[in-house]
Amino acid sequence: MRKGISQVTGALDVFDEPSADAAPVGAIGLIGNAVSSEVAEALRIDGLSTGVLPVLPALAELLPAGGLARGSVVVVDRPGLLCLALVAAASAAGAWCGVAGIPDLGVAAAAGLGAEPARLMLVAHPGPGWPQVVTSMLEACEVVVVRPPARPPAQIRRRLEGVLRRGGGVLVAAGEWEGAPVRLRVARRSWAGIGDGYGSLRACRAEVVAEGRGAVTRPRRRWMWLPAPDGTVIPDETGDAGRIDFPAGPAAAGAPTAAEASLRAAR
Amino acid sequence: MRAERTGKPARILAVWCPGWPEEDADGAEARAFGHVVTVVEDFCPEVEVLRPGMCVLGARGPARYFGGEDALARKIAEAVAAHGFDCHTGVADGQFAACLAARAGRLGRPVSPGDPGAPGAPGVVVPPGGTRQFLASYPVHVLAAPGLAGQLARLGIRTLGDFAALPARDVAGRFGAEGTAFQRVARGQEPRRLAAGPPRADLSTALEFDPPVHAEPAAFAAKGLAEQMLAGLAACGLSCVRVRVRVTGADGRESARLWRHDGLLSALAVAQRVRWQLDGWPPARAGGDDGPADEAAGGITLLRLVPDQLVPEEGRQLGLWGDDLISGRVERAAVRLQAMLGHESVAHPLLAGGRGPAEQVVLVPFGDMRDPRFPADRPWPARIPPPAPATVYPVPLTARVIDATGSPVAVTGRAVVSAPPDALMAGDSPWLAITAWAGPWPVTERWWDEQNATRRARFQLVTEDGSAWLAAIELGRWQIEARYD
Repeated sequence: MRKGISQVTGALDVFDEPSADAAPVGAIGLIGNAVSSEVAEALRIDGLSTGVLPVLPALAELLPAGGLARGSVVVVDRPGLLCLALVAAASAAGAWCGVAGIPDLGVAAAAGLGAEPARLMLVAHPGPGWPQVVTSMLEACEVVVVRPPARPPAQIRRRLEGVLRRGGGVLVAAGEWEGAPVRLRVARRSWAGIGDGYGSLRACRAEVVAEGRGAVTRPRRRWMWLPAPDGTVIPDETGDAGRIDFPAGPAAAGAPTAAEASLRAAR
Repeated sequence: MRAERTGKPARILAVWCPGWPEEDADGAEARAFGHVVTVVEDFCPEVEVLRPGMCVLGARGPARYFGGEDALARKIAEAVAAHGFDCHTGVADGQFAACLAARAGRLGRPVSPGDPGAPGAPGVVVPPGGTRQFLASYPVHVLAAPGLAGQLARLGIRTLGDFAALPARDVAGRFGAEGTAFQRVARGQEPRRLAAGPPRADLSTALEFDPPVHAEPAAFAAKGLAEQMLAGLAACGLSCVRVRVRVTGADGRESARLWRHDGLLSALAVAQRVRWQLDGWPPARAGGDDGPADEAAGGITLLRLVPDQLVPEEGRQLGLWGDDLISGRVERAAVRLQAMLGHESVAHPLLAGGRGPAEQVVLVPFGDMRDPRFPADRPWPARIPPPAPATVYPVPLTARVIDATGSPVAVTGRAVVSAPPDALMAGDSPWLAITAWAGPWPVTERWWDEQNATRRARFQLVTEDGSAWLAAIELGRWQIEARYD
């Protein structure tokens, strides 16, 4: 039985290799029916066999590859909405997403951005063995989000980067990761739909900045709705004008008007 | 119909603990009644629990052993009372009469016209053959059949004695099978047989190692142990959802993990999971100067396999290729991580229903059954409107919210804010000025449940740095439940 498993794993190694796009067809013929379900599962994932995992259109132009390049590290300043938005499109396209070290991850928010909760694997507290946890996750998941402990040692970084290059996964580090090609952060944001004692949070206009090495030496800045009133992420073309009237939409559903009324009466 | 076959009605002893709640949400009361059942089981292993607070057993055998029905009833009542439960017992022909006899013991109801009846007596024993007479004075409404009792009352038949006196043929003709069954009850016969299951067998298997062994021989022995366990389960027609593997070391350390089984794993596959678990078994501590002491310290003395969540075996079709769990690369990785960190540490989230953000996600350990207690697709009035927050604190951050004068913001019982909030201190961060806010949104949940009742008012706050927070005030204390950005 163990031999069977090693064959399967071997076949998937071939399959996960970004350069070996043509290999799976041959691989099916070679290893026969024993792994047909796994290969079928892998083939079902559309748009993930290329070298770049998809991201939401609003974020695509901030990333040098137009998406999450397989085998690379992307850094986000903190594990917030931007971090979830970064992996949402890949998850929606069928990728598994592992999350390590973020016990306070808002799964409902990830689902609201389009990610599929059924394809999330969460390890809230990986402990001191977090590099091993991330390595194990990368064997199963196309994207792994990790909040590394303060300043991961260079040796561990290099080892994980090696795993990424061999396996073709993407690591999203929410925190510090020296030498990463891209760093994303939210520079400014303003919330819409909420006032001085009335309304509710409905949308946020945010300026996302991408910095890094190589193709992104000059910081790129984009304004976007993160999230828009309908829960998606859309680019905001109005630019830097600082305008905060947000796209037309129905009045906030479920806003507790009774409480507002009582409050106004109290004033 | 044991009673009819032998010609004699079955003698039943009922044990009743007054004031036990009939139903509760999580079965805690039912489990607490298990203590009473355990005490009663010392007298007779076959005990049938009718509902929390009431159980019955066949009295004939134990009565012979304990010196008569009176003595048995008294001893059981005393034994249960010794564990701190108010308890009454009753013996009669048939379960229905026995339950009434147990209640009669408390109410001091006379057993027979000549007997005065003692209030608060621990037990009432209706003599064999006297059950019909004992029941005769009860109104027909004690039969748990409102429709039938109503009809009988309208016909002028008000007591069980009147009902029992009707010709059986006429009762069958007028009221059908249901009427016949209830008439048999009124006559002190049994409508159905006592259905006591045998006591639950211990289906776990264990193996002791003397002298202590290392991980490899233990994993090897696990295969035989797993075969034993699976054979024991199969003999009972059962299957298990998970297997708990418990390893005890020579130095007292213990490692227990739950592994998904689903009736799918062969003995070899269970042994493999034991091997994975033992991979995480800490090696002998490098304590002393040399070998022998440490050899024993790192050794394993006891390996136990316990089937968890027993379900009836339904004869699942195994995959055509190999008899291992049909698994993808994700499941293999999850199992490996679980071997490293523990079963509960690798979660597979599931959206659920709820008003607060923390209730809307359930973290199910990988491989466990995925059905939320509260499904997500139900309406949840007063739910926080979307978008969902990106950060949901498992333990809310303590916070302080002040108004422009610097005094804490409060909310009255009628959901009126004392003053507009002006600044927020979340956790250990510095004070931030509040630029926009909304609320209060009062929520009163599960007021019927002391443990889980909440009464709080929620606010959304936006601070000067652009962050948006979901705050709540409960009993005058502010906390941050979630953060939106």
